[in-house]
Amino acid sequence: MAEPYDVIIVGSGAGGGMSAYHLTKSGLKVLMLEAGRDYDPVAETPMWNINAEAPLRGASTPDKPFGFYDATVDGGWEVPNEPYTVAEGSEAFTWWRPRMLGGRTNHWGRISLRFGELDFKPRSRDGLGYDWPLTYADLAPWYDRTEKLIGVSGAAPPRGLTNTPDSPPGCLMQNPPARAFETFYARGFEAMGIPVVPMHAAVVTQPMEGRNQCVFSTPCGRGCAIGANFQSTTVLIPPARATGNLTITCNALVYQVDLDGAGKAKGVTWVDRVTGQHRSATAQSVVLAAGSGETARILLNSKSPKFPDGLCNNHGMVGRYLMDSVGLNVTAQFPALEGLPPTNDDGMSVEHLYVPWWGYDKHKALGFPRGYHIELGGGRGMPSMGAARVLADDDMSVGDDLRANLRRRYGSLISFNGRGEMIPNDDCYCELDPKVKDKWGIPVLRFHWKWGESETRQAAHMTTTFLEVIDRLGGKPLGTPERDGRKSISKGGEMIHEVGTARMGASETDSVVNEYGQSWAVPNLFVMDGAVLVSSPDKNPTLSIIALAWRSADNLAKLAKEGAL
Amino acid sequence: MSDDPKPYVPKIDRRTAIAWIGAVGAATGAGVVVSGCAPGEKPAKGYGTDPNLVKPAKAPWPRLLSKTELQAAAILCDFILPASGTAPAATALGVPDFIDEWVSAPYPDQLKDRPIIRDGLKPLIEVMSDAGQRTAWLAALPKATDEATKAFFRRFRYLVVGAYYTTQEGFRDIGYIGNESRAADPGPSAEAKAAVEQALVKLGL
Repeated sequence: MAEPYDVIIVGSGAGGGMSAYHLTKSGLKVLMLEAGRDYDPVAETPMWNINAEAPLRGASTPDKPFGFYDATVDGGWEVPNEPYTVAEGSEAFTWWRPRMLGGRTNHWGRISLRFGELDFKPRSRDGLGYDWPLTYADLAPWYDRTEKLIGVSGAAPPRGLTNTPDSPPGCLMQNPPARAFETFYARGFEAMGIPVVPMHAAVVTQPMEGRNQCVFSTPCGRGCAIGANFQSTTVLIPPARATGNLTITCNALVYQVDLDGAGKAKGVTWVDRVTGQHRSATAQSVVLAAGSGETARILLNSKSPKFPDGLCNNHGMVGRYLMDSVGLNVTAQFPALEGLPPTNDDGMSVEHLYVPWWGYDKHKALGFPRGYHIELGGGRGMPSMGAARVLADDDMSVGDDLRANLRRRYGSLISFNGRGEMIPNDDCYCELDPKVKDKWGIPVLRFHWKWGESETRQAAHMTTTFLEVIDRLGGKPLGTPERDGRKSISKGGEMIHEVGTARMGASETDSVVNEYGQSWAVPNLFVMDGAVLVSSPDKNPTLSIIALAWRSADNLAKLAKEGAL
Repeated sequence: MSDDPKPYVPKIDRRTAIAWIGAVGAATGAGVVVSGCAPGEKPAKGYGTDPNLVKPAKAPWPRLLSKTELQAAAILCDFILPASGTAPAATALGVPDFIDEWVSAPYPDQLKDRPIIRDGLKPLIEVMSDAGQRTAWLAALPKATDEATKAFFRRFRYLVVGAYYTTQEGFRDIGYIGNESRAADPGPSAEAKAAVEQALVKLGL
């Protein structure tokens, strides 16, 4: 395809994949630049491999932090040759990056919860955080479309729960029945007046045109060779390619948006991670969807006389309002689940149920302003290297006693995972490190992080809630759960929901882009990833990133057709 | 355990053995000590950040356990999980080789385990040629009260259990059913559902 392209998209994950899908289908010629290598889920997914076939029985290592079979390529908490730094005096921050086509959509958790009405207007609600320049009603049709396109399970009769939208009929597929441990814990929560509902998961559980159905085995985190869950590489990129309008260049680490004399974007420049060569391409417009961190880094590294502190950064907004989810885990053992008759518990790999936040009207009494949902793992899944974790603390058995203890207690653990909203604060941001550069001499990001009291109190409440449910269900936590939220809360970035850094807003002075991801400073430059998020509700962000990217790409296509770019 | 156990024969295939010998030979040729963990030793390489997941290669690092250590590990593996009914012994599944793979690996968790396992095996090596002493030592191990021995036993058993129950034979023994393509997920069996209901009733739920 000849330059100039109509659009260059930087990134191939949720936002990049979605915008490529829509723009190529709208007839635009697109160049997609991906920093990682090409990746083929059909050929590369270890679908039914067992841990005994893997080095160290698949246990996690610094080379493969989520275990040997996790889909992530060339990355994790550290990417070779591509450092980042955390400022002195900052709380811990960690940054998960893959280097592969499709990015994090290859391994993600597939949890697909819509943001609700309150999530778009947090400041109007209680004076904290910032309002979005759009409402739930504006995004709702795009959520509908997104759910139908990517395939999301979790259909249920409407519950009308506060700030937990019911999808309209026809958007969601049915979940498989609850696993035994899920029925079990649900009764504990319900006894506390806390509703438990079907999880929304980007897994195709019923026949769907053009897609394979889930085969109810093998973990989604490995990726899916048959395309039964949502990955950019199976769901968005193949149809985009089929239009004939998409060119993909891999190993292209974009570090700069190039401007023409009039101050409009004319293309981007990248370094080839394999050859080290620097290359450029030109286009009518540029979409950044490299992930919140990398998108901010590209903007900050794109310096010019007009933008001495980085592109679109004349009001100092790029890199600000970095957010993640609050995360916390407690695992417990339940005598009531011991010795259950063996049954196939593989399910759709993702949770079949979850606990949405239930305390919207209780925040004053609770002493923290925002809520969390609970994701629960357990059941008789394929044994891993940690199989002995089910044994009691004082169990020193061997031989037949050991075999019997393992058999009886296998499947009796449940892990309780809170995922909570974080309110953006002035202490959480990223900027360019003044000294450290990557292998190719490009300045890297330096992160600043500090949880607020809103988050640490919320974390403490997670532990309190979990211990109460565990107690009601007759269980016992493993180890001694930490009650102090300041100590028990996850590291910044650890939930891999880092968003913000180039947020959308109603005016140029307090945001980087408008509600369509169009930058205020450079009208043919767009941001279509998690960087545009104004708040970080407890709901996992991927579904919203896709819905927003689709809405923004649709607007971009209209502008392109009008000749407005 | 009163009879002398049969010597443990590693379950690795010939090709892998040759590859290991090659790796050791090459490293030794380059003047690198690979059998110990001397200070300044060039660390062995891991499998990297982009290994083949569908057909995993054998772990590439050289194995560090001596023949004697491997024999001791084998005795302890089968003390922890001897054959039982149709379930094979740990040695029949190559668990001692896995212990070697684990303690030889160049990653932080495994480097931490290396001295725990190797030091813990030393007293067994002292007594293992004498049937009576060996049996007595093994019998006393789970009842040990000193922290170092307890930590060794728990960690060794953790590794044996992990290695054993991640195999097909282990799946059968522990009662894992799954990892097969299904057209639908009917949910838990009627028996499992009934058992959970019964448990909930007992809890007053």
